[in-house]
Amino acid sequence: MLRVEGITVRFGGVVALNEVSASFTAPVSGIIGPNGAGKTTLMNVMSGFLTPVSGQITMEGQDLLRLPPHRRAHWGLRRSFQREEIADDLSVFDNVLVQTDHSRTPSGEKRREVARMLDLVGLGAMAERMGADLNTFERRLTDVAKCLVGQPKVILFDEPAGGLSVEETHRLGALIKAIPGESGAKVLVIDHDVDLIREICAETLVLDFGRRIAFGPTDAVLADPRVKAAYLGTEEVGA
Amino acid sequence: MDPRLFRITPSGGWGLALAALAFVFLPMVSTSYWLSVFTSAACFTLALAGVAFMYARLGMVSLTQVGLMGVGGWVALRLNHAYDFPFEVNLILAATVTMICGWLLALPALRMRGLYLALVTLMAAGGLEIVFATFQFPNGGEGFWGVQTGSGEAFRRPWLAQSPENYLRYVIVCAVLGFLLIELHRRLQPGRAWALIRRSEAAAIAAGVNVTLYKTWAFGISGLLGGAAGALLAGSLGLLDDGTFRASESVMLFALAVVGGARHWLGVVIAAALYKVLPALLNLWGVDADLAFVIFGAGLLHAVITAPDGIAGQILGALRKKGGRNAAG
Amino acid sequence: MALKNLTNWLLWAGLMAAIIALLGWGARPNMLGLFIASGLAVGSLYALGGIGIVVLYRATGVLNFASGAAGAAGAMTAWQLVAWGWWPPLSWAACILVALVLTLAYGRLIAPQLAWRDPVVKAVATLGYALILLGLVSFLWIDEPRSITLPTDDVGVRLLGLRITATRLIVFAASILVVVGIWLFLSRTRVGLQMRALANDRSLAALLGIPILRVETIAWGIAGLMAGFTGLMFANLIRLEPVVITFMVIPSIAAAICGRLESLLLVLLGGLSMGVIENLLTLDPTLRGVRPIAPFVIAALVLLWYQRGARLTFGGRD
Repeated sequence: MLRVEGITVRFGGVVALNEVSASFTAPVSGIIGPNGAGKTTLMNVMSGFLTPVSGQITMEGQDLLRLPPHRRAHWGLRRSFQREEIADDLSVFDNVLVQTDHSRTPSGEKRREVARMLDLVGLGAMAERMGADLNTFERRLTDVAKCLVGQPKVILFDEPAGGLSVEETHRLGALIKAIPGESGAKVLVIDHDVDLIREICAETLVLDFGRRIAFGPTDAVLADPRVKAAYLGTEEVGA
Repeated sequence: MDPRLFRITPSGGWGLALAALAFVFLPMVSTSYWLSVFTSAACFTLALAGVAFMYARLGMVSLTQVGLMGVGGWVALRLNHAYDFPFEVNLILAATVTMICGWLLALPALRMRGLYLALVTLMAAGGLEIVFATFQFPNGGEGFWGVQTGSGEAFRRPWLAQSPENYLRYVIVCAVLGFLLIELHRRLQPGRAWALIRRSEAAAIAAGVNVTLYKTWAFGISGLLGGAAGALLAGSLGLLDDGTFRASESVMLFALAVVGGARHWLGVVIAAALYKVLPALLNLWGVDADLAFVIFGAGLLHAVITAPDGIAGQILGALRKKGGRNAAG
Repeated sequence: MALKNLTNWLLWAGLMAAIIALLGWGARPNMLGLFIASGLAVGSLYALGGIGIVVLYRATGVLNFASGAAGAAGAMTAWQLVAWGWWPPLSWAACILVALVLTLAYGRLIAPQLAWRDPVVKAVATLGYALILLGLVSFLWIDEPRSITLPTDDVGVRLLGLRITATRLIVFAASILVVVGIWLFLSRTRVGLQMRALANDRSLAALLGIPILRVETIAWGIAGLMAGFTGLMFANLIRLEPVVITFMVIPSIAAAICGRLESLLLVLLGGLSMGVIENLLTLDPTLRGVRPIAPFVIAALVLLWYQRGARLTFGGRD
């Protein structure tokens, strides 16, 4: 279980996250909310790019906020950004290999794992292609493969379906859904595509203006009138 | 050890071939004037390699490389006059000291990016210029600074390379070793880390890369190459002059690295040729050397606006297109 | 926030007082006063250069490495015109005009092609322009000692028991007036407001319908005027030599760094402090030789001070 407790983040006078708490138990969980709600901010706290004013994030007894950012990756945290950060200068293989460079596993074993994960996401044939020569979907798949190597514990996806076609979104969704089974990692997904979230996430957290407004099984959350109000607004009566 | 570590790419093959040709023929066909020019150019090729890889692979602008060359040259000269070590020992020590200076330079660099980083290196260049101008270069005198009035003692060249011809060959070999060192890094973990850092430091951190370590290491390598180049220059000239290591020279060196094309070894060689050979040519033809500035400036503007990969990029692009047409037609 | 600023101010004031006391120990107050006054003049030059750079940088994102070169071109033009017998005030005006035209030419013709690129790239491009200008100026005028004299050089002003040349006083006064003037311009005029919007967020400003080209042209114009004036003063107070004036851009950048590339007041104070400390180092026998290093060491220390405890942060837009 990934436990987020009372996370508060301030940027000067703006409160970006306000006492956000949630205990993620499902294999794949979603985080949704209107623009500016604080979804990426929450992931940035988990990744270690932002320091919360208060709060805790723990999993399997490990207090994540205590670890320096790059050590969280060694522990098993993986992050996929809104813009796929794939180095243009490296091949697909090398892009994935970077994730395990820090570990002491023998090189041969690392390379075999990379090859295996590339096959899993369907990029096995493109291992030597340069990052600059990939299209958006292939970059995203490389990203996913990168998240899978090295025994991940938590994988954070920030709007993975951005810029993808309907077909590609389906494939990506199926892939993400299969991740917990393949690797035992817990997955968190931010996205605006509600259909995708409904399809792959068993539970969902909804944020609005930095506050948690709903958390629970996805179907229940999406039917919640407060969630609808957050996205669509409410009608002013007698205004 | 992965055998692919030692594979030679087509580009690398051409580079080694060019170096071999230069090694054999350049000293044979040069007059003493040109020997000195080419040796200088070869030294600066090594230094340029350091600047170019930082910019091309990590996106970090270093405006103090010539200053670092000065540090290497200073150490080599001081050691030469203080002790009896062979040249190679002086070279290695000079390069090591400069590498440590590179690490020191990295300290502010870790907290800054882009423009601020470039400006910090510029301040370092300015500082080094003053130090060299005030304390000059060692020529056999007493004390820490080792400067005496009048002519100094001789500088001991490597046992293998006493004559100017052989020294040019020696420097060419050192330059090739410098390139190979960078390439070795690129093929191993540092290269992967650097490429990811260049793309996004956040992504690098998220991938478990120790950004601090690898950025510092890059500065160290850049310093190492610059220091070695400075020591080699000292060996070529016997004595160094503070005018060679002004901040403006460091800025110019970076500018030329961009003009030549920082991503490719050919660009580095072109940059060195522009820096040292072109002014010598202009001199020979009786053209005012000041016009070299105009050419460099125009080249830099052109490179920045239309040709981000510099002259080398344009040449290679044209060759690739021709190759494509040949293959298709 | 205010408290942190207060500690910074107190720290600066304390350090300056300590340095002045340390270096000036044993010197006659008159001597000390002269050194400080002369240091303020040189510091004003650094500050003026830095102010021009910062104003342009905030409005356009371009760190103009060519400001010194434009000033050098202007100064040499002024010298040439005087040598040809022109009335001196016209030649000074010509100096400023030449620098203005050269800077505007870059700003209107070349800078727009790089408008949306990385600040480092934009700065590197101005470097290319600086080299072109330097090459042309060096080519047109052979290397020999020259000087520019101003009528105020011979006029002495008695201030607090010290005799200060009027030129130095003018430069010092100019630096303060420029800061005040630009501050008034930015805060009280419409164009100033637009310039601040542009400096704050270029993309948003464009969306808001702010006439980017017009505002930027004005910014380039201000930069050109300052480059011309600074070049002329530098030629008079330091040396009329193209290479030297061109690369005075480096200590100007040092002053700009003290202002974090944004605060004109801090640039002014930084530049003045640099000038004073550099001059006072003459009083110390060991450090006397390296005193030109002062601006660089100060800028580096200031930069480290500003960045202390800074960690890479990624706010991220949600």
